[in-house]
Amino acid sequence: MSQGSQARFEEIVERLVELKDTSELMIDLAYSSLFLKSRELAEEVQRLEEHMDKLHTDFELLVLQSEFKKEEAKGFLGLIRLGVATEKIADAAAQISEVVLRGIEPHPVLQLSIREAEETVAYVTVAKDSPLANKTLAEARIPEETGMWILAIRRGNKSVRPKPDTKIEVGDVLIASGYAEGVEDLKKLSKR
Amino acid sequence: MPALEKVKYRPVPVRDLFLEMKNLSELMIDLAYSAALFNDRELAEDILELENRVDTLDYLLEMTIMIAARDAHDAEALAGVSAVASAADKISDAAADIAAIVTQNIGVHPIVSQVFEKVEERLMQAKVSVDSSLVRKRVGELDLAARMGVDIIALRRDKDWIINPQKNEQIRSGDVLIVRGVHSGIKEFKEMAEQKSK
Repeated sequence: MSQGSQARFEEIVERLVELKDTSELMIDLAYSSLFLKSRELAEEVQRLEEHMDKLHTDFELLVLQSEFKKEEAKGFLGLIRLGVATEKIADAAAQISEVVLRGIEPHPVLQLSIREAEETVAYVTVAKDSPLANKTLAEARIPEETGMWILAIRRGNKSVRPKPDTKIEVGDVLIASGYAEGVEDLKKLSKR
Repeated sequence: MPALEKVKYRPVPVRDLFLEMKNLSELMIDLAYSAALFNDRELAEDILELENRVDTLDYLLEMTIMIAARDAHDAEALAGVSAVASAADKISDAAADIAAIVTQNIGVHPIVSQVFEKVEERLMQAKVSVDSSLVRKRVGELDLAARMGVDIIALRRDKDWIINPQKNEQIRSGDVLIVRGVHSGIKEFKEMAEQKSK
């Protein structure tokens, strides 16, 4: 494989990872919107669904534009199919969030625990002087410090699925759930 | 194509059905990516089996909902449950689509797995042999996470699936364990599970 096609290939894989992560984040957020009865989170899922459509089209175009050899065709078909599956997963997440957006009083079955029914969702922006800035989620120990759980990180027009090694950047919007008391602690931690 | 059996109503709490569908569908997605990226046929076949199970659960859930609705208010609330359950079913369908890439011998371009190996953990299945040192051990006492960076995320015993087995769950020979972890760790674990006596 030439150097040019290697670079293009890496871009394809990068886009695929983004499709995969976005679709999984959507599932997490969709269930959270349901369990926490949060319209805001449900709207976030809808927003991501639109973003996902664009990502998916870009990904397919990129795959189709790559000059693959005849014997590579199957492998590229596999890539296309993976992309379609992420789209299907995103659709399912959107379907869950629609139940919340329709304002149907959720059935008690969809409330996982009493704890979750009492929790709220908070959005906080990470300031330049915040002790959270440039730390990984594992280092930041947000659940231990505040009792709040990070559901997603909004970064520009992207949303990041939180992993222990995800680095928190200045300007990130942390989307978190937890008891109301924790919200103030998290706000303090993100400003300072 | 496996034979489809008639789903017979039995009373199961809607909540249990829903939670099992949710957990299984999420597990299936993780399994599916591993199966596709590492061209793992064993995993792919597990997924197709789980997909059948989710379908059955969905039928049972719909039946239970129909019986539970007594008035318009119930019907409104339960329609939401039905929509969410069908979304979970859709997720498991997507996982099965991914598994089919492997079972239909299409495969994913090998360079993709090289890249994913760097960023993603891998899932693998291992069948516990009669002679394995794992037999009769409890999941908790193995201390797998600390020893080799591996977690047992599901266990198949005959036709039953146990998702996220508890610490005191005892491993039996013939169990199929689904593990997640770093590459070297799960390879070591598979050898441990499948070892034959010398």
